[in-house]
Amino acid sequence: MNELEKLEAELKELQPAAPSEQFISRLENALGDAGNVAMRCMPDEEESRGGNPSKHSSSPIISFPRLVAFTGLAGIGLAAVWAMVFYLSSSLAPTGTKDLVSDLAPEDSLALVEESSLAQVEDPDSPLHGLSLEEIQDVSVMPVSGWLDPQMNERFLRVVDEGIFERPGGLPARRVRHFFMDETLWSNPASDTRILSTTPREEVILIELDTY
Amino acid sequence: MNTEPIWKSWFARHGAKLLLFARQQSRRPDEAEDLLQEAFVRIWRLYGHTGEVSPGLVYRAIRRLAIDWARSIDRRQARENKVALDAPLSFSFDRTLEQDERKQALLRAVERLPAQQKEVVTLKIWGELTFDEIARTLDESLNTVASRYRYALQKLKDWVPEEMEGKKEDSSAKS
Repeated sequence: MNELEKLEAELKELQPAAPSEQFISRLENALGDAGNVAMRCMPDEEESRGGNPSKHSSSPIISFPRLVAFTGLAGIGLAAVWAMVFYLSSSLAPTGTKDLVSDLAPEDSLALVEESSLAQVEDPDSPLHGLSLEEIQDVSVMPVSGWLDPQMNERFLRVVDEGIFERPGGLPARRVRHFFMDETLWSNPASDTRILSTTPREEVILIELDTY
Repeated sequence: MNTEPIWKSWFARHGAKLLLFARQQSRRPDEAEDLLQEAFVRIWRLYGHTGEVSPGLVYRAIRRLAIDWARSIDRRQARENKVALDAPLSFSFDRTLEQDERKQALLRAVERLPAQQKEVVTLKIWGELTFDEIARTLDESLNTVASRYRYALQKLKDWVPEEMEGKKEDSSAKS
């Protein structure tokens, strides 16, 4: 290494002072939307700290569409069973029952109607008509209570530059389309169950361009 | 998975070097940040969507803006500001250098360089640009840029010992 190379190396060792935090935030404001056109995916804090990210991964993940399909099928099955039981009970019932009811006094028949309406009482907490929470739990094999607040997460997928176009006012602007996937995760620690719902989303950003 | 704007990591890598160059190019020390902000925002708006912007583009924008801004300042003001420009170059570097006499002498020697050689040294050493990129940034030929750099290094080699000696003499005169 000659003397000039040594000098170069010495100069390179000197580090220019970094811009202040205040300046960085000023820059962020000045950039506005233009600062968000290109994003970088960062690892989760837990993963970057070297934690064990597989804590939850062992629990089964049931996707939301699959859950809806499953619940729907279970509902249809239940309705079919109920119709079959009703049909069998009415067809196999002794023929004298009808006559027995008609032979009853008016007060007795009123009591019978009240009794049958009590049997179909609505569960106010149930989201499904005609099914109580316990029945839903039995049918869906999912716990009704014990769910934590859902966790929302916005996952950035990609950005597409759609080029420069002229706005109605005549000013040029760049149109950039962002693609996101919004994820909602419901988890139930008691049953170690998670439901993940994913919804695609797009955002279009117009960046005004200076004519320089 | 979190997301972060790419410009932040980009700026963390290149911001200090760009600010150093902006300080050299600006007529007033307090103008350097404005100059860098204006140049960076313009370039990032045009090319930021690609996710990676060549630092050379920002260096060039800084230089051109500095020339534009200088033209808009009247002569009297420019003369006054020339005095302000003479703030020590060490202001633009990490404060830990203050204890290192050799490094201080190096910076004082760089300050003595003619402006044209100083900007080439800045872009080459701290901007880490190639001679070709420097030539495009300064609108000069490759040969001109390379020879300015060579002359600058030669001068620095001679001046650093002088600066070290001068400092010693100053301190002995004070004592």
